[in-house]
Amino acid sequence: MATPISMPKLGMTMEEGTVVRWEFDVGAHVEKGDVVLVIESEKNEADIEAAASGTFRHVYIEEGDTVPCGTLLGAITESPDEAFDASAFQAAEDHPETQAGGSLEVRTPTRQTPPSPAERQTKPIAPAARAAAKKLGLDPTQIRGTGPGGRVTKQDVEAHASAREALTPVANGVALEVVAGGSGETVLLLPGLGTDVSAFARQTPVLLERFRLLGVNPRGVGHSDGPEEAAYPVEQTASDAAATYEGAAHVIGASLGAAAALELALRFPDRVKSLTLITPFVESNPRLLAVAEAWQRLAAEATGETLAAALLPWFFSPGFLADTSVRARTLRGLAQTLARVPAPTLSRMVAGLAAWSGTRTQDLSRVAVPTLVISAGDDLLTPGAGTLATEIPGASHVEVAGAGHAVALEAPEAVNGAILKHLS
Amino acid sequence: MARELSTGAAINEAIAIAMRSDPDVILMGEDVAGGGDRSKEGTEEMGGVLGTTRGLVGEFGMNRVRDTPIAEMGLIGTAVGAAATGLRPIAELMFMDFLGTSLDPLLNQAAKLRYMFGGKVKVPLTVRTVCGAGMQAAAQHSQSLYWMTTGIPGLKTVIPSSPADAKGLLLASIRDDDPVIFCEAKGILNQTGEVPEGDYEIPLGQANVVREGSDVSLVGFGATVGIAMKAAKALDGAGTSAEVLDLRSLSPLDEEAILATLEKTGRMVIIDESTPRCSIARDVAALCVDRGFDFLNAPVKCVTAPHTPVPFSSVLERAFLPSAQNVLDAVGEMG
Repeated sequence: MATPISMPKLGMTMEEGTVVRWEFDVGAHVEKGDVVLVIESEKNEADIEAAASGTFRHVYIEEGDTVPCGTLLGAITESPDEAFDASAFQAAEDHPETQAGGSLEVRTPTRQTPPSPAERQTKPIAPAARAAAKKLGLDPTQIRGTGPGGRVTKQDVEAHASAREALTPVANGVALEVVAGGSGETVLLLPGLGTDVSAFARQTPVLLERFRLLGVNPRGVGHSDGPEEAAYPVEQTASDAAATYEGAAHVIGASLGAAAALELALRFPDRVKSLTLITPFVESNPRLLAVAEAWQRLAAEATGETLAAALLPWFFSPGFLADTSVRARTLRGLAQTLARVPAPTLSRMVAGLAAWSGTRTQDLSRVAVPTLVISAGDDLLTPGAGTLATEIPGASHVEVAGAGHAVALEAPEAVNGAILKHLS
Repeated sequence: MARELSTGAAINEAIAIAMRSDPDVILMGEDVAGGGDRSKEGTEEMGGVLGTTRGLVGEFGMNRVRDTPIAEMGLIGTAVGAAATGLRPIAELMFMDFLGTSLDPLLNQAAKLRYMFGGKVKVPLTVRTVCGAGMQAAAQHSQSLYWMTTGIPGLKTVIPSSPADAKGLLLASIRDDDPVIFCEAKGILNQTGEVPEGDYEIPLGQANVVREGSDVSLVGFGATVGIAMKAAKALDGAGTSAEVLDLRSLSPLDEEAILATLEKTGRMVIIDESTPRCSIARDVAALCVDRGFDFLNAPVKCVTAPHTPVPFSSVLERAFLPSAQNVLDAVGEMG
């Protein structure tokens, strides 16, 4: 066994010392307490005593050299002939001090990627929700929060995960929430920009009596998967919808949902028995795009109630809004519907809308399925909806006088009557 | 068999049991035996300012139940020396506010001796002291300074919340070989409850789940456990299931129990009678953020007294102390 002789730290300010003189030759016998070494530091010489008796075995630092405190200077072994590996002993016992007692080590934060701009924009996520989402492999920004200020809680993540188990796979790794009910011929419901199937709440009771209803929440809406893509193209929404059912269906779409329905009929005519386009468009207009921009900003920055209050006058007619109790009730319902669409989803839907606008203007004459166009007399967002009926061969047209863009919610009797007549 | 006792009577019983079972246990403090009135010396009329130790001098005599001068530095210093040299003293520091005049023997001697003598000296001292507000004892006799002793490594700090806990925790404190600051909250001294007979100890450093729940954790100690229980019952009526954790020991702190209840509920309110800065409440909150971050479903809330002296006015004193309503407000705020 060997005992080290190291450069001592003789005062708080001592950082290094000089080996002045070794008092023994290598191989000599030393007694514990013998002065084996003289060092110098800060103009003072100091005697260094042997910490053990034995053979002065090895010198690491020669006379005259200056080294930091803690540096191994020499070694004493118990006996002259015992095994001694000088370099192994040095590796174990050489502890030169560095400035400030050691080097600083920066540990890389465990977070792999910085939060995306979309993530920073969205509503707060509780740490427990973040952890639960990570464990379940979910993106917490895509989950609707029910806590104060829309905070996503652990319970929200768990509810989302269990709802997700019932999702319908439509494309590679993407599954959609499909609300199904009733029996009979299949009727597919495609909601518009920034809304979910609850936008058809006033149609579903009537349709459930005679049909098998499939309400499809598109990507990023409700519990549907919302993959991080720059845009959700209308063509993709249509092919996703086609993957949720077999055979052919009556397809009903509203606004951007009508665009997806039209796309579905053009791409897969065999899969569409009839088409009902509620306040549709094939080309966007500056006001629609301006409202969409305001919508995106409010979705990212304001509460759901504020967003709903801002959109209310664009969706409904003055006559409808005149009744304050109806207005209050509609505001609450709209806020709930809009809350199911996170801000990043809305931006991706708007990008899809803008890219699709104008691409199908020349193709309306190719629509080969029985089509009903429902337009609204006081529609601020898609005022030209009725013209689609003149372009689509054999299309019938119902205009609901005095109603706003959300005609399916505002005038359900007129809309339901027209749909039932069209489907029979 | 258990019977109804006040916390004060349970403490008295624990001291008697400890003194019967170990001749090295002595009791010392101001007026614990007879006080300065020689006519009352050795009688059972005094028993400390609140009468907690009444009757002990009759059984154990003036040699083991000792009155001291009104000089806390001398009282605590003597007790530390007695502990270091073989006795197992229980020293009564009348009010925790007097920590100021007795701090050096605790801070620099009792807390350090075992460490600095390499374990060759032990200090089996228990300092019993009354803390907290609620008796209109004003700013110099109402403080909850357990955060100070908790912040001193080498001291243990214990604070019971019920008569039964007071007895079991005090017996464990007396028999512990390290110095223990045993805090008797004014809010529970007159509270009665079932207390088991006989000799039993409650281990130091283990928190106690007083009430199981799933939606929010209410963490208290001493008198604030009662506040937490009151709030928990009110929350039950509103459909929120509250778990109540009694810390029992502030040092050592049962961190695992705190994290376990946070993991279970995701929400925590800590209720602390002391002022908020550098408090136990914020210490526990920091633990939740540091080690329990992924459990948090809402911000951690601290319900404490304000950063002011304790008021004398009963109206202001009530406003100063944390209440069940404060707890309900905090739960409402965190969502």
